[in-house]
Amino acid sequence: MARDPNTETAPLLWRVLVLTGIALVVGSAASLAAVALVELVTLLNTGLLVAPKARVQWESLPWLVAMTTILVPTLGGLIVGLVHRHLSPAGRPLGPPDVIEAVQFHKPLPGLRSGLISTGTAALSLGAGASVGQYGPMVYLGAIFGGFARRLRLGVPNLASIAIGCGVAAAISSAFNAPIAGVLFAHEVVLRHYATRAFAPVTVASVTGYVVANVIFERPALFRIESHGIAHGFEFALIAALGLLVALGAIVFMRLLLALGPPLARWIKRPELRTAMAGLAVGLTALALPDVLGIGTSTLRFATIDGAFGLGEVVVLIVAKTVLTALCIGAGFSGGAFSPSLLIGSLIGVFFWTVASGIVGLPSSGAAIYAICGMMGFASAVIGAPLTCILIVFELTRNYDVTIAAMVAVVFSNLVSHRAFGRSLFDVQLARRGIDFSLGRGHAHLAALRVADYLQAHAVTATEDDTPSDVANRLHEHGWREAFVLDRDDSLLGVFTPAAHGDIGDVEAGTVEARLIFKDTTDLAEAMERLRGFVGDAVPVVSGESGKYLGAVSEADLISAWLDESARLRKEENASI
Amino acid sequence: MRLSDLCLACALSAAPLAADELTIVSWGGAYEAAQRQAIIEPFAEDTGHDIEVDVYDGTWTALAERGPAEGWDVIDMLADQARVACASGLLLRLDPGALFSSEALADFTPVRPDRCSVPQNAYARVMAFDDRAFAGVKPTRIEDVFDTARFPGPRAIQRSPDGILEWALLAEGVPPEQVYGLLSTDRGLRLAFRKLDTIRDDIVWWDDPAEPAQMLRDGRAVMAAGFNGRFFDLAQNGRVPIDIVWDGRIIGIEVWAIAAATDAPDAARNFITHATEAASMARFAARIPYGPTRRSAFDRIGLNPDTGVPMRAYLPNAPQHGGRALVQDSSWYANTEELRQRRFRIWLDADE
Repeated sequence: MARDPNTETAPLLWRVLVLTGIALVVGSAASLAAVALVELVTLLNTGLLVAPKARVQWESLPWLVAMTTILVPTLGGLIVGLVHRHLSPAGRPLGPPDVIEAVQFHKPLPGLRSGLISTGTAALSLGAGASVGQYGPMVYLGAIFGGFARRLRLGVPNLASIAIGCGVAAAISSAFNAPIAGVLFAHEVVLRHYATRAFAPVTVASVTGYVVANVIFERPALFRIESHGIAHGFEFALIAALGLLVALGAIVFMRLLLALGPPLARWIKRPELRTAMAGLAVGLTALALPDVLGIGTSTLRFATIDGAFGLGEVVVLIVAKTVLTALCIGAGFSGGAFSPSLLIGSLIGVFFWTVASGIVGLPSSGAAIYAICGMMGFASAVIGAPLTCILIVFELTRNYDVTIAAMVAVVFSNLVSHRAFGRSLFDVQLARRGIDFSLGRGHAHLAALRVADYLQAHAVTATEDDTPSDVANRLHEHGWREAFVLDRDDSLLGVFTPAAHGDIGDVEAGTVEARLIFKDTTDLAEAMERLRGFVGDAVPVVSGESGKYLGAVSEADLISAWLDESARLRKEENASI
Repeated sequence: MRLSDLCLACALSAAPLAADELTIVSWGGAYEAAQRQAIIEPFAEDTGHDIEVDVYDGTWTALAERGPAEGWDVIDMLADQARVACASGLLLRLDPGALFSSEALADFTPVRPDRCSVPQNAYARVMAFDDRAFAGVKPTRIEDVFDTARFPGPRAIQRSPDGILEWALLAEGVPPEQVYGLLSTDRGLRLAFRKLDTIRDDIVWWDDPAEPAQMLRDGRAVMAAGFNGRFFDLAQNGRVPIDIVWDGRIIGIEVWAIAAATDAPDAARNFITHATEAASMARFAARIPYGPTRRSAFDRIGLNPDTGVPMRAYLPNAPQHGGRALVQDSSWYANTEELRQRRFRIWLDADE
C-alpha cells in the first residue's frame, strides 16, 4: 500500500472519536430514558392502584379497588387507542421490528413524533396495567436516541445503524443490570453482525448504560435471583424436556398474538374501542386473578418460591396471561411481548416442577431453577435471542450452574420453535411486511432490491408490424441482439432476434416466447436464482398487475447489482473501525 | 467552607436574639437522657436558649391534643407517625434545601429529610439469641429462626404481625426490596403464614417490648424477636450472654419535626440543624445504640462514655453488619395495620 500514512491516521482517529462520543452520549441518554420510563410506570402503577402495594393500602374500600381494577385498564385502553388514532402519524405502537428494519436497511426510523407517542402510550399502557411488556418500548426509546445520529455527517459509514445499536444495548443493559446481555442483544437481534466498528461502540454504550443506571443511580435490577445451583445430574434431562414444553407454549403464544389482530380489527372497527375492550378484559380477569395486571413483578417473584402456586392455579394463570397478552398486543396496546414471556415461561416452569416433584415425586433443586429455565426458554423463543437470554441469567444470578441449566432449556426451546414457527416473533412480524430474514441477513438485503430499479433505458422494443430490417437496424444502433415485441396495449408478445431469422418476412413470424420474464415485484435474490442457465442479453420486466411491458434489465446489470450489494454487506460486516 | 455553612453559622449565632424558650418533646427514660447529654445541652450552651423537655407517648393524636396547649415546638416522632401528622397539617413545612446543603442532604441514609421531618436516628427490630443455647454453630441468618432442626428451642415473638411476616418472606428468599410488595398480595400473606406454620409450636408470645430480652435471660426462649436497644441494654448492663442476628433487621427511623403551632419556628429549625449534624448524631449513638441517619456520622462514633463499650458494633444500621436489611415502609405499615392484624388473628385462631 503506497498511501501516505498521515492521511490515513487522521480520519481513523476521527472515526474512533466519533464512535466513542456517539457511544457515550447515546448510551447515557438511552439509559436515563429507560430509568425514567421505569420510574414513570412505577408512579402510574402506584397512583392508578395497579401495583399490589398501592391496592392493599385501600383494602378497607373494596368497591374502590374493584372499580379502579375495571376502569383503569379500560380507560387506559381508550386513551391509548385515541392517541394512536389522532396524534400518531404511524397510527400504531412501534417496537423492535421497526428498529430492526431501520437498522438493516439503513432507513430512518418511523417519525420522531410517532416514536415519542408510542413511548408515551407504552408508559400509559404499562401504567394502567395492560398485559404488555416494557422492554420493547425501552428498546425503541433507546433506538430513538441512536436515530438522531442519522442527521450527522461525520464520515463514519453506517453510523446511524451503529448508534441505534448503541441505544438498544444501553436500554437493555440498564433495565436488566446486564451489560453483557445488552451487547449481545443489540448484535443478535438488531445489527445481526459482529463487525468491530459496531461491536466496540455498542459495548461502550452498554457499559455506559450500566454505569449510569446501576452505579450512579444505584438502581436495583428489575429482577434479582438467588439460587444454590443444580442438585442432581438427571435434572438436566428434565430441563431439556422443559425446554421442549416452553417452546410449545411460546409457539401457541406467538401464533395467538399474530392471529388475534385481524379478526379484532374486523369485529370492532374503531381502534380505540379495541384497546378499551382488551383493557376491560384485563380488568374483569384481574378481579379474580390480580396477577394478570401489568408486568407482574410480584408474580414473577412468587414463581421462584416453592409451592407458591397450586397446580390448578398455575394452569389458569398461564392460560389467562397468554390470552390477555395476545389480546392486548393484538388490540393495539403499546408494549412488548418480552416481559409477559418471562412471566408465562416461568409459570410453565413452575407447572413442570410441580408435576415432576409433587406428582411424580422426583427429587429436585426447587422451583426457582425451573422457573428461571422456563422463563428464559420461553423468552428466547419469542425474541429469537438465545445468547442474550443465557447471558441475562448469568448476569442476574452470577451462578454458573444455573446458567448452564438455562442454556439447555434455551437451546431445546429454540430448536423446536425455530423449526415450527420461525426464528422469532419479530422476524415473523417482519416477514409479514415482506422482509424475510429466514435465510439470513444477506438474502434479506438482496430480496429488498427490485429488478425494476435496474431497467435499461435503451432496450429495444418492436411491434408485429415492424419490418425485420428496421428492427435489426435499431438493435444494431444500440448494440443489442434481441428486441421485445409488444402489442398495441404494450403487452409483451415475445422476443425477436433478427440474426436468427434473417430471411423471415415479418416480425410476427419470428417472435418466440420469452424464456424468462421478471415482474416488477421480482427481487434481486429471486432474479439471480432464476438467471441460472439463462442465455441472452436482457430479461423483460412486466407489470404484475396489468401485464404491461415496463422495460428490460440486462444480465450484466443484475450481476453488478448483486456484486455491489454483497460487497457492501461484506464491508459492513467486517469493518474494523 | 461552603456558603450554606456560613449562612448556617450566621443563623446560629443570631438565634439567641430571636427566641429564648423552646419546648422539645421526646420519649423519656434512657433515650431522653442520652438526647439531653448529646444534643440538647450542647445546643443550649451554644445558643443560650432556655429548653424545656416534655414526654409524650409517641402518637400523632397526642400532638393534636396536647401540642398547641402546651406550646410544643420540636417533636421526636416515628417516621410513620410524622407522615400522618404531616398529612393532617399538624407539622410545620420544612424546606430541606434551605436547611441543608446538597452534600449534607446526600449524606442522609437510608432516607432523606422530607417536607415535614428530618431523620435523626435508626432503631431496628432484630432476632437475638441466647448464646448458651447453641454451643456449636450459632444462628447467623433470618432463615435460622425457621430452622428448628438445627436450632431447636422456643422462640419469643411479639403477638403481632409486625416484623415476623417480613422475616417469613425473607426466609423464602425474597429480596428485601420486594418484601412489602409481596406482602401486599393475598398470595404473599398466605406464603408468610405458611412459613410461620413451620414454627408454630415453638413460638412463645410476648406483648411488652421489655419481655423478649428477659425471656432470653430466664431461659424461657432461645431466640427472641425484639428491639436492638433492649437487647443491648440487658447484654451490657445485665451481663446476659445475648447476641444479635443482624441479618434481616428491620430498620425504623426516628425523625425530628416542628409543630405547626410553634411560636419559635426559627429556633426550632436551628435546633434541628444542630441535632442532625454528624457530630450530634455520633454523640447520641455513643450513649445508646440507635444509629445515626448520616453516613459521615459513623466514622465519629467511639466508646460509650459510661461503660467504655465500642458502640459502632451495636448500631442497627452500621455498615459493617452486612446481611439483609429492610427499611420499614412507614406509610404501608400505617395503611395495612387493620388487614395485617385481621389476617394475623385468623392465623392465631386456626391454632386453637
